[in-house]
Amino acid sequence: MGVKLGSLFPSEQISFKDLHDRIIVIDAYNVLHQFLATIRQRDGTALKNADGKITSHLSGLFYRSANLVQNKIKPVYVFDGKPHELKQETIDERNRRRLQAEKDWKDALEKGDTAKARVKAQQTSRVTEEIVAQSKTLLEILGIPYVQAPEEGEAQASYMVRKGDAYGVGSQDFDCLLIGSPVLIRNLTSSSKRKLPGKKAYVKVHPERIYLNQTLDKLGISQKQLVDMAILMGTDFNEGIKGIGPKKSLKLIKKNGNIENVISTIGSDEAPTFEKIKKIRSMFLNPKTTDDYELSWSQPDEQKLVYFLSEKYQFSEKRIESMLKKFEPIKEMKKQQTLF
Amino acid sequence: MFNAKAKAEILKDLIDVTSPLVNEVKFNVSEKGINLRAVDPAHVAMVDLTIEKDAFDEFKADEMELGVDMDKFAGIMRLASSGDSISLTYDDKANRLVIQIGNLVRKMALIDTAGMPDPKMPTLELPGKVVVKASELIQGVRASEAISDHLAISMNKDNFELFAEGDTDTVNLSLSKDMLEGLTSNGDCKSLFSIDYLSNMIKPVKSSEPLTIHLGNDNPTRVEFAIANKKGHVTYLLAPRIESE
Repeated sequence: MGVKLGSLFPSEQISFKDLHDRIIVIDAYNVLHQFLATIRQRDGTALKNADGKITSHLSGLFYRSANLVQNKIKPVYVFDGKPHELKQETIDERNRRRLQAEKDWKDALEKGDTAKARVKAQQTSRVTEEIVAQSKTLLEILGIPYVQAPEEGEAQASYMVRKGDAYGVGSQDFDCLLIGSPVLIRNLTSSSKRKLPGKKAYVKVHPERIYLNQTLDKLGISQKQLVDMAILMGTDFNEGIKGIGPKKSLKLIKKNGNIENVISTIGSDEAPTFEKIKKIRSMFLNPKTTDDYELSWSQPDEQKLVYFLSEKYQFSEKRIESMLKKFEPIKEMKKQQTLF
Repeated sequence: MFNAKAKAEILKDLIDVTSPLVNEVKFNVSEKGINLRAVDPAHVAMVDLTIEKDAFDEFKADEMELGVDMDKFAGIMRLASSGDSISLTYDDKANRLVIQIGNLVRKMALIDTAGMPDPKMPTLELPGKVVVKASELIQGVRASEAISDHLAISMNKDNFELFAEGDTDTVNLSLSKDMLEGLTSNGDCKSLFSIDYLSNMIKPVKSSEPLTIHLGNDNPTRVEFAIANKKGHVTYLLAPRIESE
């Protein structure tokens, strides 16, 4: 998912303190997907309640939000709307891969290969409508605002930052930079360790900040050229041209000015048509967004939270209570009034 | 067309006022000078800043908007030492600001101003008004920042006071009418404010300059002061904190 631009974008290591009192817009699908993939038992089975309902996302969302608020960061979650028609192919492909992973997972389990089972199980995770609805309910109970995007969540999040309603986008994807968010925050996680995929090794991760305009300067390209670079490499809306990674893409775009010239020069037959390029470009440069949102934070509703998490999903009440303490900074935040 | 020359300090004042609040800002340039207005994402503080053309050594401009990334601009201005004469020219073909510092020419890409906000200044009826030497307020805020994250500003017809309370320590700055450059207050006014915002606000203030504070009860404050050798003017609005419900 997302465009692989990491190697080109210089990031600055920051701490939660640098984000004090800041509003961060989080791409909900991006984090829910992470939670569903990683919050699993050793053999890859997702966390479930007694009725067999998955609870990984609720656990992740609750702990992540608690941790951000405890650090005086104000999270807003943005949910994807209707996927754009151009994304359908990508979605179909993802579904195919998911079905395959489900088969592989069962095979691995039968053979007793738990390591492989876990990896395969991670690839089966899917953000369903039910998961989205449960997540929204949890956020409402926690007093944390969320926004429904008309189309892509990343686009809505970037728009809110550009408009000056939030400080930055919190996501692992770089797509928000293509859409023009001036600030991207990565690794907004509570744990400072992350398991390397497929290995028994861990790396320390820290929150990182990436500034769009400084990056463009460093690369010596414009925003539009960055989008062209991404289309060459492949985005959620098109397959890239084989053999073109970030470095080569940058070089080609700088030399030829735009993607149309690059394609005319190298004459690739896997390249998207100019008409499709135009459409994809406008997805990034003029995406559908909405002003229909209100950002306010309030204290979690303790009774409802205990009912929702403990009665329905069997979270331990003790654990809920101790996590609730982390929401206390909201009280302090509420004391600060706004101008309008 | 936009072509201006100014001492580095003038531009650094502009950066100090704006960059703590926003990443990107729109400079409204006209033949009279530069004006900008910025609100922080949390909508707690707003700054309206004008630098008259007389603050510049040279200034020629048509009406236009320049979209500036403040972190980037601040980074470039760190290359200048105080006293340096900085030249700014707008390159309309490439939409860049050409910044010349000594022999160094730095071309800075500007941001598309479409979609950038035009915040409206809220009207405030504030019964209290005090004119105080900036050095007093700076000292009070500095002292308070060590012990708390908020402080109270209050005034009545005879007195102006700043008070902060930590777990064990307190800070109190009290100035009677004869120690102030001006004081008018209809009754008692008191509001609490975040020290983070206040200390950012006072950064560009010259300690010898007077500072005008308008105050109400649990209401935003409006603080006005001069920058850029009195050829620039800042109006700073800051929303209050409310004591526990």
